[in-house]
Amino acid sequence: MDIVLNGITFQLLSQKAVYQADEELLIIADVHLGKARHFMRSGVNLTHKAQQSDYQNLAQLFFSYQPKKVYFLGDLFHSSINADWMHFENLINAFSAIEFTLIKGNHDLIPTSFFTRLNVNVINETLETEQFIFSHHPLSITTDKIVFCGHIHPAVRLQGKARQSVLLPCFHYSAPNFLLPSFGRLTGSYIIRQKRNEKVFIVVGNEVKML
Amino acid sequence: MAFPIAEEWFSRQGWQPHDFQQQCWKSITTGYSGLLNAPTGFGKTYAIWLGILESYFKKRQRKNGLHCLWITPLRALSKEIYNATTRVSDELGLDYYIGLRTGDTSAKERTQQKKNILHALITTPESMHLLLAQKGYYDFFKQLEFVVIDEWHELLGTKRAVLVELALSRLKSINPNLKIWGISATIGNLEEAKDVLLGIHPPKNKLIKATEQKQIEIETLLPKTLKKYPWAGHLGIQMLEEVMPVIERSNSTLAFTNTRSQCEIWYQRILQHSPHLAGAMALHHGSLSENIRLWVENALHEGILKLVVCTSSLDLGVDFRPVDTVVQIGSAKGVARFMQRAGRSGHQPGAVSNIYFLPTHSLEIIEGSAMRYAIAHKQMEQRIPYIRSFDVLVQYLTTLAVSDGFRKEDVYKEIIQTYSYASVTEEEFNWCIAFITKGGSTLDAYEEYHKVIIEDGLYKVPDRRIAMRHRLSIGVIVSDSVMQVKFLSGKRIGSIEEWFISRLKPGDAFWFAGRMLELVRVNGMTAQVKNTKSKKALLPSWQGSKMPLSSQLSQSIRHKLNEYHQKQKHDVELQALVPLFEEQERTSHVPKENELLIEKVQTKDGYHIFIFPFEGRNVHEGLAALVAYRIAQLYPISFSISVNDYGFELLSDQKIPLESALEKDLFATTNLFEDISKTVNLTEMAKRKFRDIAGIAGLVFNGYPGKQIKTKHLQASSQLFFSVFTDHDPQNLLLKQAYDEVMIFQMEEIRLREALHRIQKQTIVIKELERLSPFCFPIFAERLNTERLTNEKFEERVNRIIKQLEQS
Repeated sequence: MDIVLNGITFQLLSQKAVYQADEELLIIADVHLGKARHFMRSGVNLTHKAQQSDYQNLAQLFFSYQPKKVYFLGDLFHSSINADWMHFENLINAFSAIEFTLIKGNHDLIPTSFFTRLNVNVINETLETEQFIFSHHPLSITTDKIVFCGHIHPAVRLQGKARQSVLLPCFHYSAPNFLLPSFGRLTGSYIIRQKRNEKVFIVVGNEVKML
Repeated sequence: MAFPIAEEWFSRQGWQPHDFQQQCWKSITTGYSGLLNAPTGFGKTYAIWLGILESYFKKRQRKNGLHCLWITPLRALSKEIYNATTRVSDELGLDYYIGLRTGDTSAKERTQQKKNILHALITTPESMHLLLAQKGYYDFFKQLEFVVIDEWHELLGTKRAVLVELALSRLKSINPNLKIWGISATIGNLEEAKDVLLGIHPPKNKLIKATEQKQIEIETLLPKTLKKYPWAGHLGIQMLEEVMPVIERSNSTLAFTNTRSQCEIWYQRILQHSPHLAGAMALHHGSLSENIRLWVENALHEGILKLVVCTSSLDLGVDFRPVDTVVQIGSAKGVARFMQRAGRSGHQPGAVSNIYFLPTHSLEIIEGSAMRYAIAHKQMEQRIPYIRSFDVLVQYLTTLAVSDGFRKEDVYKEIIQTYSYASVTEEEFNWCIAFITKGGSTLDAYEEYHKVIIEDGLYKVPDRRIAMRHRLSIGVIVSDSVMQVKFLSGKRIGSIEEWFISRLKPGDAFWFAGRMLELVRVNGMTAQVKNTKSKKALLPSWQGSKMPLSSQLSQSIRHKLNEYHQKQKHDVELQALVPLFEEQERTSHVPKENELLIEKVQTKDGYHIFIFPFEGRNVHEGLAALVAYRIAQLYPISFSISVNDYGFELLSDQKIPLESALEKDLFATTNLFEDISKTVNLTEMAKRKFRDIAGIAGLVFNGYPGKQIKTKHLQASSQLFFSVFTDHDPQNLLLKQAYDEVMIFQMEEIRLREALHRIQKQTIVIKELERLSPFCFPIFAERLNTERLTNEKFEERVNRIIKQLEQS
């Protein structure tokens, strides 16, 4: 679905990303690549097959939107470097026309030099434009700009009849922060309770709906 | 003298040995294993312990090393056994030293225990596995001759029993002549309890039953007028006036409630009603800090307290001699639990246990009489043992790999001797091995996975951090994510589930530990609070599954209902219920034992069907889902469902084609599993069961309270594992286990089948009602509670609806 923020139209994608058509910009948060491998190395069985879908989903998204720019809002990799890096390298090389930028998150331990070698821009703090700020963490500042951010992995729990409930990832807008759901398959979620003046957009199947 | 030590001890105390004690001494000294079934308060500890001492001192040559391992389910009990046994050694001057090892034992003491010559060690199932996770355990256990499992009935039916079975399988292979003794209260499957304990190829053994029996006196507290007593509810506060005289005239009373929030409410209300009890009454439940609980237990022991309002947290534990009265508030749900609670009073041998049953709504009154009937006819519940728990097996294999390592063939031979794993195939065992060595059965062997590796055929954990994390997570009790509640001074009061605290804002007041507290701030996993005198306070509700009514008690209730139709003299409870049954007859019908009652009624909410199998809430949940699914197969219709222990309700906005569904054999047992698996709930339920499984199998590690280990980067929810396994590893045995556990323990498949068979033989009586009947009203009211409101709000809403009913 489309929403207008500071006069600019953004598409909220059910693939858990945001697309801005004029700039041909794709925004993605919290992919947590390499998480399965990191778990395996620490003796926890998380099959790395599950991680494969993250690469497929990224590739599919790049392919269908053909963006000029992609911003990763932090926590692109879950931990220090491991064999997953190879998959990432392949992916970036396959889409060499795209300009990739990583805004670092608390999980991003991989040295910047690894990214720059792949021509991926790395920003340690936040990326600021005239109307928007791109950040990993939500910011507690007063500003007219809108802060696109990740880190929280927002989701809402919807209660149904007979004690049934579903947990759905969501976009969450509480000025100035516009939270993206986590992109990665192997990420957890934090349950948001919607307050007044806040907007929640849930991801249900192939759709994004406002609550 | 056949038993010099035992006889001297008994004559010193001025006691006469019971028959069962002498039988135990004889069997133990002649090399038997076995199970002792005796009620508490008759000296069951000495029946076993003195036998072991006799056996030890009969030998000409006594080797150094551990001779006896005594397992109890509770630390408090371990302590009591330690004191009792040490007293024997001290007073008789025996060269037999006893050590105590629980989670509380300091590291220093532990190393001393290893060096010193201990003859017996008293411990818990978890600590027993911790011993197996230490290097050199083989030497430590080499001379072991006896293992005693105390309160075996309490462990059986939990995964802690599986821990015991596994540890025993290893100890047996270290010492093939090991003798195993269990001590159990009366349960419905004592023989099976013995089989589980002793394994598939048991040593020579005996089941010794004490003929001594505890006298139980049950009195149901009846409301002054039944008319004013509510048809629904589960607090029972209206009965305060009736219960206070009982408390006042007793020396010391335990009041058992079914939930922690009910416990908090009762404590408050009694204090408001009788302020003079302040200081003489206390509160005891599982979320209170250990310090508070220990203080209460000690105070009870010393006879300082006149009343303790408690939950199942006091079901087990040391004897409180001063306690002479027990009050059960609300249904005890099972005969065995009721008897156990009754037995907490009148602890002196020969004394009568007095228990008062306080029904929380009118129909529940019948449970008092049903309970008396069940006890008189010795209808005790069975404890269903866990079998094929792969989560525990995976944990155990890692435990062995952490210490000295294990050989695959040896361990396989050992575990298939246990009751729990007897049916595990080599293929399944190999899956478990693959799970800890490669991370799963998936063919892409993973070089980076290094939990357990093979070195010269020996499976070991090479990584010290993994080993340490494993030791910290040994055990099968998985707790929810809880927050510590502390005063600003840092004094700990207890713990509350995180989600409750997350709803509060600083400044909000809530009841906890019988005080009104104000939330000051949340700091990490700690909620800092101070005392307050606020007017309004919230009541925490702890999440926990509701116990279903046991099969034995359900059966007695059906029998008692039937008695209403008979001409014989009714007991007090039935007499009291006559007005209610008359109302039920006016609006509907009181079912006989060979009838299944179905009520149809239309309200502004829609079309309701109420069905009353009287089989407990778990079975009703399964039945309701099944019936809903089968009706929907005939005709597109959707339902909302609510259940209680007596029956269930289907509610729809359209007319329900019940009659045509009945013609199509609505209650058939054919396709039972298929039909149930098609109802949506199953996956959701399995996902919930998987939470514990993932924790036990070491997939989810949350760290331990007080042991802050940085594992944030290793945190993942069990739900994630559940969905990843479902997509990528559907053959995963842990996943299958989750579904099995749902069928066995949640849906109670066996009971569900039996219920369906019974229903097929019954006459179905359908009644069209003009207004809600006393039977269906509690279920109707239950639906209001599904939104997880606090009890008080629930009560208010129920009252409002009752008023509306009276007006119409």
